[in-house]
This record gives sequence, C-alpha cells and structure tokens, in this order.
Amino acid sequence: MSEFSWVGKPHPPLKMEGVPKVTGEAIYTVDVKLPGMLVGKILRSPHPHAKILRIDKSKAERLPGVKAVLTFEDIPKVKYASSFRDMPMATSGTLQPPDQYVLTDKARYVGDPVAAVAAVDEYVAEEALKLIEVEYEPLPAVFTIDDALKPDAPQIHDHAKGNIAAHVKYPFAQGDVEKGFAEADCVVEGTFFVPRQVGAHLEPQACTAYVDPTGKVTVWSPCQLTFPLRRELAKIFSLPEGMINVVTPFVGGSFGTRLSLYCEPIAIALAMKTGKPVKIVHSKEEDFSTLETRTADRVTVKAGFKKDGTLIAMQMKVYTWAGAYAARAYLAGPILLMWGLGHYRCPNTDGECFVVYTNTTPAGAMRGYGNPEASTVVEQIMDMAAEKLGIDPVELRLKNVKKAGEPSNLGPCPIESTYEDECIRIGAERIGWWEKRKLKKQEGVKRRGLGMAAMMHCSGAWPLLIEHSSAMIKFNEDGSVNMIINPAFPGTHCWTTLAQIAAEELGISPEDVHVVTGSTDTAMFDLGSHASRTTYVTGNAVLEAAREAKRQLLERASKMLGVSPEELTVKDGRVFVKADPSKGLTIGEIARSTIWDLKGESFNISGKASWSSRYSSPPTGAYFTEVEVDTETGEVKVLKFVVVIDCGRVINPMTVEGQIQGGISQGIGYALYEDYVINKKTGVVESDNFNTYRIATNYEMPEEIEIIFINKPDPKGPFGAKGVGEPAMVGVAAAIANAVYDAIGVRLRELPITPEKILKALKEKEKG
Amino acid sequence: MVRVLTPFEYFEPKTVEEASNLLRDYGEKVRVLAGGVDLLARIRRREIQVEGLVCIQRIPGLDYVRQDSEGLKIGALTTLRTLERSQEVRENYRLLFDAIHSIHSIQVKNMGTAVGNLCIATPASDVAVSLLALDAQMKIAGPSSERSMPLENFYLGVKRTALQPGELVTGILVPPLPKGSFGAFMKLVRTATDIAKVNVAVRATLRNGGCEEVRIALGSVAPTIVRARKAEEALRGTRLEREAVVEAAERAAEEVNPITDIRSTAEYRREMVKVLTRRAVEKIKVEAGVKG
Amino acid sequence: MRGKQVIKLTVNGEPYEVEVEPHMTLLEVLRDKLNLTGTKGSCGVGECGTCTVLVDGKPFLSCLTLAITVRDKNILTIEGLARDKKLHILQKAFLEHGAVQCGFCTPAMLLTAKALLDENPNPTREEIREYISGVLCRCTGYVKIIEAIMSAAEEIRRRGSEYE
Repeated sequence: MSEFSWVGKPHPPLKMEGVPKVTGEAIYTVDVKLPGMLVGKILRSPHPHAKILRIDKSKAERLPGVKAVLTFEDIPKVKYASSFRDMPMATSGTLQPPDQYVLTDKARYVGDPVAAVAAVDEYVAEEALKLIEVEYEPLPAVFTIDDALKPDAPQIHDHAKGNIAAHVKYPFAQGDVEKGFAEADCVVEGTFFVPRQVGAHLEPQACTAYVDPTGKVTVWSPCQLTFPLRRELAKIFSLPEGMINVVTPFVGGSFGTRLSLYCEPIAIALAMKTGKPVKIVHSKEEDFSTLETRTADRVTVKAGFKKDGTLIAMQMKVYTWAGAYAARAYLAGPILLMWGLGHYRCPNTDGECFVVYTNTTPAGAMRGYGNPEASTVVEQIMDMAAEKLGIDPVELRLKNVKKAGEPSNLGPCPIESTYEDECIRIGAERIGWWEKRKLKKQEGVKRRGLGMAAMMHCSGAWPLLIEHSSAMIKFNEDGSVNMIINPAFPGTHCWTTLAQIAAEELGISPEDVHVVTGSTDTAMFDLGSHASRTTYVTGNAVLEAAREAKRQLLERASKMLGVSPEELTVKDGRVFVKADPSKGLTIGEIARSTIWDLKGESFNISGKASWSSRYSSPPTGAYFTEVEVDTETGEVKVLKFVVVIDCGRVINPMTVEGQIQGGISQGIGYALYEDYVINKKTGVVESDNFNTYRIATNYEMPEEIEIIFINKPDPKGPFGAKGVGEPAMVGVAAAIANAVYDAIGVRLRELPITPEKILKALKEKEKG
Repeated sequence: MVRVLTPFEYFEPKTVEEASNLLRDYGEKVRVLAGGVDLLARIRRREIQVEGLVCIQRIPGLDYVRQDSEGLKIGALTTLRTLERSQEVRENYRLLFDAIHSIHSIQVKNMGTAVGNLCIATPASDVAVSLLALDAQMKIAGPSSERSMPLENFYLGVKRTALQPGELVTGILVPPLPKGSFGAFMKLVRTATDIAKVNVAVRATLRNGGCEEVRIALGSVAPTIVRARKAEEALRGTRLEREAVVEAAERAAEEVNPITDIRSTAEYRREMVKVLTRRAVEKIKVEAGVKG
Repeated sequence: MRGKQVIKLTVNGEPYEVEVEPHMTLLEVLRDKLNLTGTKGSCGVGECGTCTVLVDGKPFLSCLTLAITVRDKNILTIEGLARDKKLHILQKAFLEHGAVQCGFCTPAMLLTAKALLDENPNPTREEIREYISGVLCRCTGYVKIIEAIMSAAEEIRRRGSEYE
C-alpha cells in the first residue's frame, strides 16, 4: 500500500476544473461578454517593411457604429517588449530591450499593427478598417537570417546594428575547446536547420479590456504569465500595477505562444478611449501570421570524443531567426545553447548565439523553449559520433550523461536528482533495441528504423529566471479549504495536481480543496505557467502554505484534545491521536470552533507561502521510436514510441501520461509535418491556418505508445515531483530523425522531414 | 484577417428552373450554395466576393443515390456521407467509395455534396478523380434546356467549369461497369485529413487476363484533373506485364504538368504520379489475380 | 431575400425564434444570439472541427453553415448533452479517462462521439479514429480520447442508456 492518500494516484480533473469543459459552461477569453461591449479590430500592415507617411482615419471615424479609431499618434509613445522587459536572465544579467510600440509608425512585418478600431459589431469594425487610409513608403525587406546579415541589408531597428538583436556568449563555458578537439580521437561536426513551429492552440488569441470609472483596468487575457503581463501593461500606460487586474479565464491551449503579450494593450487603449468594454478576437489567420512561433535556428555543432566515447569538447554556434521584434527569441536562442552544451558532461565547452532580426512574424517560445531545437541537433550529433566511433548510441549516451550533484544544464546550480541512465536502459530494453538493430535489413521498399534521444530539461528556469510563486490556504467551517493560487491554467489540470499536493498534506480530499484563482487581484504573486514549473514551484508554495495551515490546525486540535501537537496526525478529514485513533475531532469541528470561538479567541486557520526556487531538479528521460520509411514515396510512418520519464515522483499519473501523449503528437508534427512557410518575395505567411499548416491528426499518432515512469522522488520537489509539461515533447523529433537515418541511411539536416526531402536525399545518395 | 462573412442577398428557389433563372439573371454576381463548406470558407477569407447566394438545399428531388440499368445516379444534393453509406456505392462502385472514404472528416462528408465537390473544380478532388476514371456524366440544367456532358469535358481550368450562365449541375450518372472491371484509388497527403498532393484513380476492364480497356485519372498534377491517355495506351491490349506497367507509369509522369505549392513540389508530384500509377495497376492485378 | 428575418430553430430541445441575417452562420447565432458559447470557433475554413454541432443528429461545422439554411431543424450543442443535471456517459468518460486537457476541442469531440455511438453503438478503435479525425486536438495526442469513447460505448451498451 502506498504511503500516500492522493499523491501518485491517477486523479481525474477536479470537478470545478473538468466538468465545465465537458458541459460547455467553461468560459474562455473568446467567450467573455460584458454589457455594452464593443468589438475591437486591428489594421495590420500589408507590407513587410514600410514607413507610414500618413494615416487618415476621418472616414472610418464617421462610419455609423464606430466608437474609436486609434493610430500610433493616439497611443503612449512607450516602447515595450512583448516578452516582458522585466524577465531578467538572472545568470547573464541581460534584460530584454523594449523594441516595440503598441501601434507602430514603421511596419516591420506583414501583420504589424498600425491602427485599431472599436465598433458596435464585427461587421462595422471590418468596414471601418477598410476606410482607414494609410500611405506607406515601402522599404526593402529581409526575410532570412542570411539576407538580414548581409552588409547592405536594410536596418530593421536603429538600435540593432547589422540586425543583430543580441549576441550572447555561452555563459557557462568551460576549459579550452580547441585543446579538447586536439586531444579528441574523433570529431564530428554538422550544421542543422530547425524550423519555426506554431503553438496552434485551438482557441484564437483574444482579449477583453474594461476601464471602470475609477480608472481601474481589468483585462481578460489568456496570457500564461499574468503578473509579468500586468507589470508590462503598467509600464506602457504609466499606471500603478495595483490599478490593473489581469483576469485569466479558461485557456484554450497555449504551448508557450501565450507567454507573450499580444492585443492586450490595444484593447486597453480602445477601452480607455471609449469608456466601454472592448473585446478583440483574432481570426485564426491572424493567429498564424502574428503570434510568436518557436524560433527557427541554424545550429552548428562540433563535438570531440575519446575512443571510448567520452565527450571531451563541444562547441555550438547558433543563429536564431528572430522576427521583426526580439520577443522571446531574445531568450530562446541563447537558452538553446545551454540546453545543447549543458546536457552531457563535457570539460571543454564554448558557444555563441546571434539573434537576428528579420521582417517576419516575431518568433519566440514554444513548448520546450529551445530544447526540442537543441535536442534535434545534439542528439543527431551523438548518433553520428556513435557511428563513427563504432559504439552503440545507447552506450554512448550512458557514458556521458550527468549524475546528481554535477552542474545542471542551466548553470552551475547542482543537479538535485537525475535518473537519465536508468531511463535510457529501460527504454532500450522495452523497444527491443539490441535485438531489432541486429535483425535490421536495409532492403525492400519499406524500411524500418529505430531511433532514440536522451533528454534533460528543467523544473522552472532558475537560475536563469526568478522562479517565484505563492499560495494561500484557508480552512472553511466544513473542513474544506480554499486554495488561492494563480499559475494560469492552460489545460494541464494543474489545479488538480496542486489540490492533490495540498490534500495530501492536509489529510483531506482533493475535492475539498476549492481553488480560488483567475486574477492578479485575487492571488499573491505567481510568475505563471512556463518552463515546466507549476507543479515544482507553485507546488512547493502550496506545500509550504499547507504545512503552515496544518501546523495551526494541529495546534488548535491539541488544545481541544488536551494532547501535544506532536502526538496528533490528520487523515481523511480527521485529526486524531496517533497512539489512540479513536480520540480525535473532524477538521470541520476544529475549523468551525476556531472561526466561531465563543471564548472570543476566533481566528481563521490558514497558511500562506511564497516560494522562490533556488534549486535545479531537471526532469530527464529517454525517447525510443520505431519508424517505417517508404523509399518510393518518402513517407514516414511512426510505428511506436517508448518514453521513459524521470519527472521525480509522479503526483498524478493520468495528467502526466496526457502530457506525454500530447508531447508525442506535437513532436511528431515538429519532426514530420509542421512547416511555417513565409513567402520569399512578399513576407506573407502562407501557412496561415490549419489547412495549410498541418498538425498531427489522430492518424499520425503511433499505434503503440508505452510510457514508463521512473517515479523516484527528487529532494526539492513537492513530494519529490519535478516538471514534465515541456519534457514531454523535447526528444520526440530527435528520436524520429535518428530512426529515419537508421532506416534509410540518409540524414536530413532540416526539419520537417518531409517525403519530398527524403526522396531528394535518397536520389542524391544513389548518385553518390 | 476577418472572422465573419460579407453580407449578401439570399435566394432559396423551390425548383431547378427557378434556380436556373436566378443564375441566369444574376450571372457572376451569385453562387450556388449546396453544402457550402468550400464556398463559405472562401467568402470568409475574402477569396471571392459574392452579391448573392442561390441556395438549392430545399429544392425537392435532388437528394438521391440509386442504381439502375443506366448506371449509378447521384443527385445534386446527395452528400458524400450518403454515398459512403450507400450499399450500391460500396459494393458496386468501389473506386468511388474508396475515394470518398479517404476523405477523413465526417463533418465535411455530412455537409459536402459530390456534385458540389465537382463544381468547385479543384484539381485535387478525390471524388472527381475517381469519377473521371469511372467516366461519369454531368447532368446539367439550364434556363430552357437540359444537357449532359462527360466529366472529362467539364473542366476548363483551375476553378473554371464549362457551365454556361444560368446552368447548374443537377446530378451525376456513372455508367454501369462492364464485367471484369477493376479499380484502384490512391493518394498521398501530408496528414490524413489534408487534400491530396497527388491522387490517382485507375479503372480497367480485364478479360482473360488481358487489359481490354483502361482509364487513368490524375489529380493535383495539372490545372484540372486529367486523364493519362498515353499511359492508358501503354496498357491497353497488354496482359499488364511488369514492363507495360512501368512504361505506363513513366508515360503518366510525362503527361502531367504539376506545380510547386504549399503541399508539395512539382518534382515530387511528377515522381509520385509514376509510383502511384504503378501501384494502382499492381493493386488491380492482385485483385484480378493477374500474375507477373 | 436580404436583411433581417425571424427563423425557428430547435436547440437542445428548446424552440427558439431568432432574428438573423442570411450571412450569419449557425456558430454566430448560437454564440452571439442565443448565448450558447459552449460551441467554439477556430479555423473558419472547415479544417479543425472545433465548431461541430449536431444538425438532425449529424455532425456539422457550424462556422460554415448559414443559420437560415438549418431553420426548422434540430440542433444539439454541448449545452444539451447533459440531461436533468446528469452528465452523459461520454462526458463522464472523458473526465475519468483524462481525455480533456484545455477543453477547447472537447465540445466538438463529445458531440462527434455521440453521433458515432448513435450510428454505431459498438465501434472498433479504427472506426472511432476515422469518425473523430475531422476534429483536431492539440493537447492530448488523441490517445485518451479514443480510450474514453471505447469505454463509454461499452458502458452505454451495458446500461442500455446514455445516462446513469
């Protein structure tokens, strides 16, 4: 029998988190409706790069039903960073430079907002946009890293000479790479291109803003980082933070895309102007064309090994294809270096990253934040080295994985726990690695291949970012609690996981944890949902708060029962004497008599805590896959996935499995199908909806998926838990790429691995 | 970047004649609304402008599928789903069934009609490719007369049909299949629910192991769906020996004129015409029990 | 015919008379006129299936259906799936199997699954995969959705009822 009542047991979503989603009652940002609400709409630049010479909005303003038309002249001339200037990279000390205006007078990509209207309905708003006359002076534009770096390339921002948004040296470089390469018995090198990927959440981006007569701003937004959003909005509008309340309704998927700020300031500006609530909802074309995508990167890796497979030197050079604004590319590119160079033990490392502005949609974060990109490159380099060294890929990785206590991938902070080696061994066994590879024949039209990738990620981004969350817990008369938290909830069912943590500590049922959440006014600070941090960081805040509440509960019970608190324990909603379980009180009895104390000693049993994470507990894992490649059509079918995950102790196996299955589908999309196409002449995004940009349907999922949890506790996670949201997809594409090579002997250096690319490569191979 | 449709005038004729008159009177300004999947999406995306829609959904007598001595008859309002669930289609016109079955959205099949699918004149239509191989005839009604036309002559270019002002398609006739008739449909897609990068339908009549007659239809490899006549020529009269099949596949690839777009490249498409044509004929051989 | 007119619709068993214009989609009418926001919109091109509702029992894309063309028909939206405060067995199964994450595709998945089970009470895994393939899900990888539908089908057959 488990030592726990709730931790480690599959738990369906709490009623309040799950039921509204199946009955249609869950309110998402797109569903927000307020009396007198107006529709906001954004006029976007049709040019990739253009000066605005003149805007005439008078005709639009005269259209009946139009309540406000705004251009850059009507908006505070304050630059902001869509990914929040106050997200410092703690390690390197760099801060995101604000480089963007709410409405611009110089368009830098097709889709850049140049004006906005508020009108009584969608039809009038659209008509009004057509009536805004904008005279553009088109400027030469650049769409690729190479073009942006040419000496005569047009300058996109005055502050960024040569279109370099950032040049970051690997902050944790060690030893001497040149010496390392000289001492290596085998050096492998390769340049890879990893593409943009779209979050492709189903709920269109939306926002509603309202300014009440006292000047207080309320913003309904699906942003994953509500408190940083509030702070950035305060800066833009020169408001105190307390005068802004960011409300988070249910979120229809986010996957990193919604870490950033989008139409919120436009909605606020329109609401300020009209005095009415204003709601903006993107079309899906607007989403695909203007929301941040995963960055694309050109990555060159050189790795040196000793004969026995020991990695002794590694160097990476990354060119990050940012869009018109640095956005999250500013962090995602440099972090790619850290994932890549920090995964395996290596005494000599060095690297640099150039983040390059182009006249395209801003790029930034998506699930894994640089790690799927790094993994796709480094895990293929590992396979190339294994082949060259004559060592099995599994053995090569086992030789080089880090152990607990060594520096983590994100800096010198020691790894609290890792079972990566165990993950690799178990995964290899479960997929039949050695047997199948021995039997493999490379003949016939359809060829099978096996591939693997090892993975190390993070549970919150400390020490790169401040990882701060808070929680409050208070007991009600009935013995239930209110848990006041605000991590944003993009569908991971983190309320349930956090309720399991609280319930376990408090000896109550998770359904007796009533979650109070959803706005910055309600809850204490929480950085938000990113970097696989909610269970680990907010979970620790919840646990701390629960411990304090429990301390108060037992203290009060001890007075009521006349025993010392140490003699008491709590389980199933009842506090009792350990030595004599018959002697006890229900939590309801204790809570009620504490709130309504006839002796005049009333108080509310409660706990609150802020958790500022200073530890590194990287989740680790291994991905194994078997694929079949049709050598005549180039089609790749993913037959099987085995994922072995060390995410510490698993709090809720049901949701963790769900994360991994979803991660596999996004990873398969990244590896094989998802192609963000920008027209090379016009800069227009051609893959602007689900018909042109293909995400995996259920047919693309492998028939067989095996998920294995190591389930060993981490010393610092709440009940030993580590993060898992992003890790779920980190190694998927790398494993597929390695399996395709195993099947057909051709390595494609650019995702997605499409049939067109495979056939071309096979033909080139034939020609020799 | 818009989420709503443009306002338009709406007509709901009660008869084909009434519909035809509306189409004649308003000409290019109006469109026929049947299932609406393609049409309304394109209006929403502002790819086409319309001043009015002629909704034929409530005209009686256009929703049928039946088989008689003249062949398989399909009405203008018969949905893809109705056809997919029709026993006649599944058992007797397997090539059509396979093409419809390969469309993986129950929603689209519930709303979309076979005739509508043909009338939008996309060169990627799975239904059109299979019906071209089956030598389907279009039944067309005009203001004063009716006519019929082979599907083969129906397309003039991308999204352009041979319909005259005032004309609408009221049904499809698929002729009876001769004895010894076999068919195969194949397509390549990016993900399962995508429209085809390339699709191929082959229908052949085999007698005593010999290929008496054959039609090869190709989609997504030219401005319209096309027949690979030279490839057919290479098979007609043979016993579908490997050399003949390879020769036919090579010829088919030479006959097409594909482009590079978001779904695939011209080069790949041409190559795949070869592979799919060969595989389709091979499949027919297996089904017909032809050796070699 | 141009301008506003009143049409009759039966939504979730309730008769409605609603004023529409011809270009208004069923999605707009459900969400904006009837305040039934459980039906979600996403792609607007017939690709994601998010806006699925049942029209006379059949899954339709409400974003590509003009409201005027379904007048006098029976519409079932997600708000009508639970009966007398009791969840449909599919709804329970989706929760119990972890088939819901962000929940944005869930109304469409549930209604599509209901149409499938009405048509075919004992579907194979393959039949489920095919039937739901027109509804995209970005969160779950579909595994638990398929499991939930399999399990609900069995439960409904066992009980002879869609409700507990």
